[in-house]
Amino acid sequence: MSVPPGISERVFSQAIGQFERAVGREWVFTSDEDVALYSDAYTPLWNEAEAKTASAAVAPASAEEVQAVMRVANEHGIPMYPISTGRNLGYGGSAPVLSGSVVLDLKRMNRILEVDERNAYALVEPGVSYFDLYRHIQDNGLKLWIDCPDPGWGSVIGNALDHGAGFTANPYRDHFDAHCGMEIVLANGDLVRLGMGALPNAKTWQQYKYGYGPYLDGIFSQSNFGVVTKMGFWLMPEPEAYLEGTVNVPGHDDVIPLIDIMSYLMNSAIQNAGTMLSSPVRFAAAQDPQLRTMLTRADDEAKQALNRFAAERGIPFWSNILKFYGPEEVIKAQWAYAQRRLGKIPGAQFVDGPTYRFPLTPEQIATVRDEGDFGIPTLSIFSIGARSAFNPTPTTGHLWFSPVIPMSGEAVIESQRVLAGVLQELGRDTSIAVFPQSYHQRTFVILVGFPVLHDVDANRQVRDVFRRLIDVAGEHGWGEYRTHTAFMDDCARVYSYNDHALLRLQETLKDAIDPKGILSAGRYGIWPRQLRRNRA
Amino acid sequence: MTNRRQFLQISMTATAWPFASSAVRAAAQIPATEPLALYKVIYDRRFGASVAFAERAAALGLGVHAIEGDMTRFWYDELYHEWKKGPVAIAGLTAHGAMFCFEQLARDQSMRVVFRAEHKFGAAGVEHALTGPLTMLRDGLALNDRGAEWAACMADVVAHCPQGRAEISHAAAASATVARDAQVDAESLYSWVIAPAVKA
Repeated sequence: MSVPPGISERVFSQAIGQFERAVGREWVFTSDEDVALYSDAYTPLWNEAEAKTASAAVAPASAEEVQAVMRVANEHGIPMYPISTGRNLGYGGSAPVLSGSVVLDLKRMNRILEVDERNAYALVEPGVSYFDLYRHIQDNGLKLWIDCPDPGWGSVIGNALDHGAGFTANPYRDHFDAHCGMEIVLANGDLVRLGMGALPNAKTWQQYKYGYGPYLDGIFSQSNFGVVTKMGFWLMPEPEAYLEGTVNVPGHDDVIPLIDIMSYLMNSAIQNAGTMLSSPVRFAAAQDPQLRTMLTRADDEAKQALNRFAAERGIPFWSNILKFYGPEEVIKAQWAYAQRRLGKIPGAQFVDGPTYRFPLTPEQIATVRDEGDFGIPTLSIFSIGARSAFNPTPTTGHLWFSPVIPMSGEAVIESQRVLAGVLQELGRDTSIAVFPQSYHQRTFVILVGFPVLHDVDANRQVRDVFRRLIDVAGEHGWGEYRTHTAFMDDCARVYSYNDHALLRLQETLKDAIDPKGILSAGRYGIWPRQLRRNRA
Repeated sequence: MTNRRQFLQISMTATAWPFASSAVRAAAQIPATEPLALYKVIYDRRFGASVAFAERAAALGLGVHAIEGDMTRFWYDELYHEWKKGPVAIAGLTAHGAMFCFEQLARDQSMRVVFRAEHKFGAAGVEHALTGPLTMLRDGLALNDRGAEWAACMADVVAHCPQGRAEISHAAAASATVARDAQVDAESLYSWVIAPAVKA
């Protein structure tokens, strides 16, 4: 059995015994075989001394047991690392930021406490996965949708706390934005309900977000200030219908008016979901050795070459799928209006996509472009990792570099030029690596995927490139929305306005709310006083 | 090497070779135990080897279930409910993604991958890297003789996964295949068995 840093074997054994009394002996894991399961399946630190490992794991079944565990940990100063289901692959999984921490595994807390169809909300525990909530709704014939990420096996609470996103309509697709009400166990074991939940016998905990006084929910996301043991979420009433359409525009610079109009449509709630921007010509050109180099440039010669390539082959430079949810007559009118606005771009062409009425039949579900658009969780993403021309070496995992950029065509072009330039400078493939995703309202997230391998040197190179991208993006005002645990300090470091005033505030909060610094040390770059590193 | 390539490489680590090699040979002395009951054997219709594996598994009297890459429906509609009743063992010959998903989901039922073999395709045939109970590694040596029939051979191997806790080791083998059967640069496939964890 390994021991947390700074804790003696005697004290740790004593704490383990108390954990066993709190949750039952069978729910405390100390054998190497069991603890190894709390590793990061996608670690970029494979076979390196820095690889993140736990010392033990404790799996409580209720908020009361979490309280008991935290009181023991607080008494002995044991570093704890809460996970919900530990399936945020690509972001660290269930492995603690501080090696040697005890994983507080909340998977057994998997009760769906309430789903209210009339007011369209759910109250769940952290071990509830998207599949669990979807199954509950289906089994009970409720006319409600969930919004799930891809893949859908993660925790509803865990994904929201990490600012994850899905693919249906606003505001449900921004999972933290869609939450309403939290219950927290603090480091000292105290139990707190936020918002209207602070009112005994509250009647609107899952309906009114703010409660009375300061709105504290945000400090418990992407942080290490407490253990979230319940959380409410607004759910989307099943819409009558769904319609999608595609707009294609022919030229490189058409992305500027395209996104301007898309922003208007989204900000006006005419298009009530995320946009799905792609560049068919960039994808096609990536397969042409001569044109590949043009993709890393933003000069006129490159633009013209790519425009010619697109025109000669009749391939749109940019393509955007618009998704509409609602009554059929309404969404048809919204699509018609969107075409009228987007038709002002010279050469714009439109393609009607499918229209669905709900509920979908199993046959329809089997043929939809993406189940996520309909709030249907799936694991199908794991079946598309096969070897291909773009993926000559199937990997053991991946990382996402994911800075937030403005929702404008200029920002898309600029970010592609800058980030592709860094990748090119460091000898990485740039052809299809840099692309904007519409995860949250009013911004794009640029996703740059990196493979992780069972190859120490290759992983070190990836980490070097990743850190360089963080710095360069930061210099351009683009910060990460979320990152792998291996880069949490690096990403926090670039949020440096006024000599890191934000981090100083976070540390002040940390010291006040968790004075012994036992919760998730280092998560999102927030370290307890005793482990705080000197900042530049 | 161009026809039937027959050798055994014990590949746990270079220094562990002599130990592991003798350990696998010594497995011949291990008395046969009742094989693990398999709820279903999963195969992927996209791969000929996987289909051959399933045909042999069915011939052995095992229940088989087809997927096409994505294992979601099988798990959601069927296995989830079985696992709610109790931890039943499953096996398969699939791509890595499906195995990975089953492995992760099985952990929530206190189940583990107890046998795993990677089948890597190359110009000379298929290389197999096996990890599991010694008796299964011993049975896996037959892969060296079976050429293109290696996948059917794997069905025999997983069908005889022993119950209970077994010493786990590593071994490697290779099956030569004629040129038309070779799938150079094809995606590696994996044979696997997932069973209830048995504490030491």
